[in-house]
Amino acid sequence: MARPPAPGSVIVPDWHESAEGKECLTCILRKNRRRVFGLLERPVLPPAVAIDTASYKIFVSGKSGVGKTALVAKLAGLEVPVAHHETTGIQTTVVFWPAKLQVSERVVMFRFEFWDCGESALKKFDHMLPACKEKTDAFLFLFSFTDRASFEDLPGQLTRIAGEAPGVVRIVVGSKFDQYMHTDVPERDLTAFRQTWELPLLRVKSVPGRRLADGRTLDGRAGLADIAHVLNALAEHLWHQDQVAAGLIPNPAENAPG
Amino acid sequence: MGEEGTEGTVHLLCLAASSGVPLFCRSSRGGAPARQQLPFSVIGSLNGVHMFGQNLEVQLSSARTEDTTVVWKSFHDSITLIVLSSEEGTSELRLERLLQMVFGAMVLLVGLEELTNISNVERLKKELRACYRLIDSFLGDSELIGDLTQCVDCVVPPEGSLFQESLSGFAEAAGTAFASLLVSGRVVTATESWWRLGTPEAVLLPWLVGSLPPQAARDYPVYLPHGSPTVPHRLLTLTLLPGLELCLLCGPRPPLSQLDPQLLDRWWQPSLDSLRACLPLGPRALPAGFPLHPDILGLLLLHLELKRCLFTVEPSGDKDPSPEQRRCLLRSFYTLVTAMHFPPEPGQQEEKVEDTAQRAQVPRACYLVSGTEEPGTGWRLVALQLGPRRLLLLLSAQSPCHGLRSLATRTLQALTPLF
Ligand SMILES: Nc1nc2c(ncn2[C@@H]2O[C@H](COP(=O)(O)OP(=O)(O)O)[C@@H](O)[C@H]2O)c(=O)[nH]1
Ligand SMILES: [Mg+2]
Repeated sequence: MARPPAPGSVIVPDWHESAEGKECLTCILRKNRRRVFGLLERPVLPPAVAIDTASYKIFVSGKSGVGKTALVAKLAGLEVPVAHHETTGIQTTVVFWPAKLQVSERVVMFRFEFWDCGESALKKFDHMLPACKEKTDAFLFLFSFTDRASFEDLPGQLTRIAGEAPGVVRIVVGSKFDQYMHTDVPERDLTAFRQTWELPLLRVKSVPGRRLADGRTLDGRAGLADIAHVLNALAEHLWHQDQVAAGLIPNPAENAPG
Repeated sequence: MGEEGTEGTVHLLCLAASSGVPLFCRSSRGGAPARQQLPFSVIGSLNGVHMFGQNLEVQLSSARTEDTTVVWKSFHDSITLIVLSSEEGTSELRLERLLQMVFGAMVLLVGLEELTNISNVERLKKELRACYRLIDSFLGDSELIGDLTQCVDCVVPPEGSLFQESLSGFAEAAGTAFASLLVSGRVVTATESWWRLGTPEAVLLPWLVGSLPPQAARDYPVYLPHGSPTVPHRLLTLTLLPGLELCLLCGPRPPLSQLDPQLLDRWWQPSLDSLRACLPLGPRALPAGFPLHPDILGLLLLHLELKRCLFTVEPSGDKDPSPEQRRCLLRSFYTLVTAMHFPPEPGQQEEKVEDTAQRAQVPRACYLVSGTEEPGTGWRLVALQLGPRRLLLLLSAQSPCHGLRSLATRTLQALTPLF
């Protein structure tokens, strides 16, 4: 994997809050809710603003109960599961996210396909892990701020799951960040981990967002505001990796060792 | 079991037959899942009385109190299921079939081996949690009726939609013969092989897909209670449009990653408009513009040989009673005519060929007025059997009783070419 780009260097960070960005986000909303897309569908933009789509497969990995399914649901604008039920088999979720590139000022429609698989299914069925890893563009390695063991399991996971996958984006995600008061993973341990592994780290809280006036339906725009930083970070790393792989920008790791 | 209020409660208990250890309990109240639990002593007594009978070689199958019906059933001498229901209009038939569905669901998701060779109760309990959602959907108020009729809930796609070709083509490209297209848990179309799936999986698979939270795609391990109870298969689902899912049943291949958007586009993008036209069929079951008499408030059509059914309470949706009430009335009526009036359904009991032949010529009908006895009030229910088809209609109070039979006959004739 290429050296991670500096945050905000590839994607304009707060573009989704600008007038242009807000306008563009309406294509992934419907009546103030997040729009759900079938596999035959994609967001429709006025022909004048027709933009390219960049599709990526992202495998979400981590111990049972760390919050993989909740994170994906949160990113898709769906209800997050309250009680923990281990995910049966593999489930995939598609999230569209328009974002603006810093360099060209071009807007790109990112299409993220998240692959989420229950831990016991991975152990029980041999075909699941290869299917999740096949042609994946990124691995998200989840640990939970409230589960020390899940943090300590990270190095093992990194070698087990992504050991032989060069050129694939790897991102560490600390989940249940809303529970930071009760964390078992102090900042200094995180710092040490980051120095050793040089991987990007995201902190997420997959908790239900604001609801619409009916008190039941999730507010689509509020939900997007909650997760924009995560989606932008994914877009940034994946786009950067593509550019490096295509030789469009030099791999900083080669030029500036250390 | 005195319950306050009029809302019926259903409790389902699952125990390990030999030890009597409860594996799970699920409850619903007024059609929605409820947390309420039965006291352990009650669970113990219910199981105790069943075991007591068994030791004396007496099969206790059901009991009734003033407001509650209880049904027991053991499966493979390993799992005992007990259901208690105080829902209005409940019956032994309904509860027995419910227990069969519940056990079918357990096999579907956990496999028969785990259920008959219980080596580690705690692990089994944990695994059975995967069934809760599906089981709860049987206990609650569902739009489907296959749990009761043991027939596959289907819809009739709009005329001229050519899904059959896309479906078999896509299935072949994916390397399986088993494929179906579902809208909200009902079959729009399926391949020959899919239709040949046995009971209960033919009913359970669409039901399962309809009960899961939305996902773009899934690779879901399933055991087939009839066809493959110990070796898991893979159920692959692909959401073409929200609510409209393509399902494939397969072995180790193909990997889910092979069924990519390009492949889907190639086979399905040309039929996009017809696919969209299927979305309202979820609750409606019949294509827009299908002529139904305005008195019809609900309809259940069964094909008892093909084991398929069509169930809708959408017609004249603006009138009373509510969709839930309509479903409830038709469910109770189905139970009544099936348990009391009509001959046993094929496959339920052994039957002679002459019986079937004889029945084909004898249309049988019955009707019922539900509610008050005053003339001109109360919903009308009429059932008609002709050959392999059985039609049940819920009609408005204004519908004259003397015209019920001919109305039902005409409706059945109109539906026959479609189903
Ligand atoms: N407070 C809080 N709870 C979370 C968060 N993410 C997940 N959970 C809870 O943790 C449990 C396990 O989450 P789940 O996503 O099912 O875990 P998985 O096994 O990794 O898929 C569930 O009860 C979630 O509601 C989070 O960010 N904050
Ligand atoms: Mg999960």
